[in-house]
Amino acid sequence: MSLIVATEKLTKKYGDRAVVQDLDLRIPEGCVYGFLGPNGSGKSTTMKMLLSLIRPTSGEAHVLGRPMDRATRRELLGQIGSLIESPPGYAHLTGAENMRIVQRLLDLDDQHIDFAVRTVRMQDQMNKRVREFSLGMKQRLGIAMALARQPKLLILDEPTNGLDPAGIEEIRELLRRLADGGVTVMVSSHLLGEIDKTATVLGILSQGRMIFQGSRDELFSAATPDLLIDCSDPHRAQGALARAHGCQLENSTLRLTGIEDDRAVAGVVAALVGESIGVHGVRRDEQTLESVFMGLTAGGGL
Amino acid sequence: MNARVLTNEFAKMRHLHVWLLVAVLFVVVAGIGLYTAVINPDFDRVTASSWNTLLGGIGSGFSLAAPLLLAAIASRHVDAEHQGGGWLLSATSGLTPGGLCRAKLLALGLLVTGVTVSASVLFAATGFAFGIDAPWPAGRWIGLTLCVLVVNLVVLALHIVLAARIENQLVGIGIGLLGTILALFSTAVPAWIAHLTPWGYYALSSASGYVDGVLVAFSPAYASIAGLGLVAAVVFALFTRSFDHQEI
Repeated sequence: MSLIVATEKLTKKYGDRAVVQDLDLRIPEGCVYGFLGPNGSGKSTTMKMLLSLIRPTSGEAHVLGRPMDRATRRELLGQIGSLIESPPGYAHLTGAENMRIVQRLLDLDDQHIDFAVRTVRMQDQMNKRVREFSLGMKQRLGIAMALARQPKLLILDEPTNGLDPAGIEEIRELLRRLADGGVTVMVSSHLLGEIDKTATVLGILSQGRMIFQGSRDELFSAATPDLLIDCSDPHRAQGALARAHGCQLENSTLRLTGIEDDRAVAGVVAALVGESIGVHGVRRDEQTLESVFMGLTAGGGL
Repeated sequence: MNARVLTNEFAKMRHLHVWLLVAVLFVVVAGIGLYTAVINPDFDRVTASSWNTLLGGIGSGFSLAAPLLLAAIASRHVDAEHQGGGWLLSATSGLTPGGLCRAKLLALGLLVTGVTVSASVLFAATGFAFGIDAPWPAGRWIGLTLCVLVVNLVVLALHIVLAARIENQLVGIGIGLLGTILALFSTAVPAWIAHLTPWGYYALSSASGYVDGVLVAFSPAYASIAGLGLVAAVVFALFTRSFDHQEI
């Protein structure tokens, strides 16, 4: 599997404060890479470093098989579409005039522009001034600007920010279509639900560090769900287990965290039986991907 | 920088009223300058002092109108980049922020050059239309036009830099207003004080003026204005280079 983006110990510090720390990003070609993390976790800074808009303090980024730096940046940017922070667009000009500015900047032909505009389904709105656009239309125009160069890699920083559910679904659908067409998409969000169904590979950032990188299934398997126990005397059971395990009582069910393997589960059950407490049920908590994500980003890692 | 980048700068001027502001600059310079020249008692249509009143009119027209209007022109054009995310859009398309500033100076500079030369031609044409008998002082006329043009371009470059660095465009407009006052007072202060700010150089461009109540011909301070142009070009190049390396 070839990588379209690979970083080695990528770090950005402002003074003593590390915004991004030792990041080893691996983005396979042709995937939709969901780049997740709470606000302020370093997602935008990482994306800007990939575009050489910000110089790393240390480490390096390889994009499209070449180091991304000031020497290569102009050439590489011709193959990378991006939408960073708020969508660009000169409000006093129409959508079509904005696209012509991009066309001249990148020396593109009319077909490229038509393709990009049709891809985001904006062909009927291009004669309006951008100041009359809704936020969703601005986002789509921004994506059209990024797509006009027919990029191999598309970097989108929170493209669903501020959109209503229909707008979010429209962007998701667009990302799927782009990926099907062979474009590698890196999309960031602070909400897992927004890109969970679209992303084929996930990277989770917390406080500037990568705390998980892999598929959705790998994320599930890497995070250990809590153990839930129903028993005959929950209060006495809590007292018995509290010494050895983190144990909480929820209604009449015991919740134990950090019980990783089957042997440990058997040990817990044996301890309860040893105290003459009847064990009625032992099961793992059902986790949503959202709760895994929240647990990871709150706890700082797996 | 290539022609496509320059074309983009002209395309961005649509609906920004930049052309209107440039037209206003021309009209105000022509109005103030011609009015003050023609009503001047020294405008006798016979002697060389008639040409001198017109030369003085060009100087006073630009020193009154240009500082504020150039600030407004630069501000409107650069603010579009702040409002529209243009710095990022250009940077991710391979055009650095410094390159964008240089393109703006070139595009707006062409308009300002057009206004300066057109105003100069209009004043000369007015003199010929009035049938001034004295020969047209071609050397001083062209010299004054070039000097005013250099000062205009320096002030324009300064405002492009200010508008790019400081998002609040009221700052640039405020400095433009201050520049108008400095340009006006520079005619009445010693030359060394006029050298201290770019607006003072409008006074140093003068090709005529009153000495003991008599209108006489001056030679513009060519060396000073050449020095200003050189220093401004170096500073602008350094600024835009540093802007190229600034993180966005």
